[in-house]
Amino acid sequence: MIRAGRLADTLIGLVPIALILLAWQAVHSAGLAPPALLPSPAAVFTRLAQQLGSPAYLEHAAATLYRLFAGFGLALAVGVALGVAATGSRAVGAVTGPIVRVLAPVPKIALYPAFILTLGFDDASKIAAVFVDAVFPILIATRQGTAVVEPKLAWSARAAGVSPARCLVTVVLPAALPSVLTGARIGLVISCIVVFLAEMITSTDGLGHLLVRAARNFQTVDMFVPLITISLLGLTLNAAFNALRARLLRGFPEES
Amino acid sequence: MIAIDAVSKEFETKGGRRHLAIDDIGLAVADGEFVSILGPSGCGKSTLLYIVGGFVPPSRGSVTVGGKPVTGPGPDRGPVFQEFALFPWKTVLGNVMYGLQQQGVGRTQARERARALLAMVHLEGYESFYPKELSGGMKQRVAIARTLAYRPSILLMDEPFGALDAHTRTRLQNDLTEIWERDRKTVLFVTHSVEEAVFLSDRVVVMTRSPGRIKEIVTIDLPRPRDRVTLLLERRYQDHVVAIERMMDAQE
Repeated sequence: MIRAGRLADTLIGLVPIALILLAWQAVHSAGLAPPALLPSPAAVFTRLAQQLGSPAYLEHAAATLYRLFAGFGLALAVGVALGVAATGSRAVGAVTGPIVRVLAPVPKIALYPAFILTLGFDDASKIAAVFVDAVFPILIATRQGTAVVEPKLAWSARAAGVSPARCLVTVVLPAALPSVLTGARIGLVISCIVVFLAEMITSTDGLGHLLVRAARNFQTVDMFVPLITISLLGLTLNAAFNALRARLLRGFPEES
Repeated sequence: MIAIDAVSKEFETKGGRRHLAIDDIGLAVADGEFVSILGPSGCGKSTLLYIVGGFVPPSRGSVTVGGKPVTGPGPDRGPVFQEFALFPWKTVLGNVMYGLQQQGVGRTQARERARALLAMVHLEGYESFYPKELSGGMKQRVAIARTLAYRPSILLMDEPFGALDAHTRTRLQNDLTEIWERDRKTVLFVTHSVEEAVFLSDRVVVMTRSPGRIKEIVTIDLPRPRDRVTLLLERRYQDHVVAIERMMDAQE
């Protein structure tokens, strides 16, 4: 029953996507937009299928994915470590609190030109851009999640002879996992956006670079292909993240 | 032995005012003694227990356990909370094994001991369940096993059966007396149920309304091992319950 219900939900969710594709096709067929600017969906998806078989295209996709995961992975490690430390130590909390409040709302993509100047055109500047944007939601969610963990969970561990630092890692952090994962998901979405954006601004490879290059040359079909690729990547990453989350949180009450 | 000496605890309220939770508590608990702390809600009886546990520092006074001053939590004092406080990300077995593994006991050995303890609290077959899949009574059994695992010489029980239905509560009280009869640990037991306190304890400490002070200490001279049904018909049991009920009523 539940499985059938989920399947129905998925099918209903596909309806708007199908409608967008239909509308796209309709606009194209009715000639409302010049074909040079708006290619037909069929043309774009045929090209996508071609490109997904082309090693050159896959290399660009791999470059984007590498920057995405390196930046996000760094943000996850640093954000979680600092968030936990800020809860565990009054000094770390006092130092990180104000700076996080000041920097969190700044659009960090503005730092990207500075990263290019200091770190160069290669991967490092893109990874840095992804990192600085993704680290804040993870840090904030970890800090807040660990701060509100029921003290009696920690007491139960401390009474067993566990040191405060060990208790932080073995009890407080896992207890805050629902919140940490919510921050991580926001960080992942931001990472997807920023890596693409950074590649669009200045890059010599990657999906974002392909899109900008195609647009500048009026190759509209090739412009849409990276866009769809990155959407599919986002969908896949989200599904993988949800599966991992469900597994990690299987002992927690449903609403968290 | 637990020696509580002139302990007071003041909290700062949100408005910046000071609230005296407990005032000048002095109490000595002998090794192997079962002492209940009984009082109306908000009288600070749980606070007193947290101070003995080393989870909360006293504002004035001191607590020594076995002659050593309490400065923080330690494995000689095992808490059991009303809210169970189980680790939701660990299975039943994982919860009971946690303290042992943190103390450096090997995995196989920790698992063996955890299984034995779970059998003792009548939970064999539930090792791989998550706490959320258990009833309240079963959760509290897991919590008791988790605390017994690291062999504390003192149990600090904070209204452990307060969140359970009457039937489960009775069963767990019976099980607790059974467990206690085996090795006679020192128990400090916070409750607001007079019957529970009289049934379980050697002595009942009756506290006043906030700020909590000791109003009276009643020695329960009923023979052990105690059996609930026999006890209910016993005149001395009834007298204790009635006398303590009157004491509590007199404060209203």
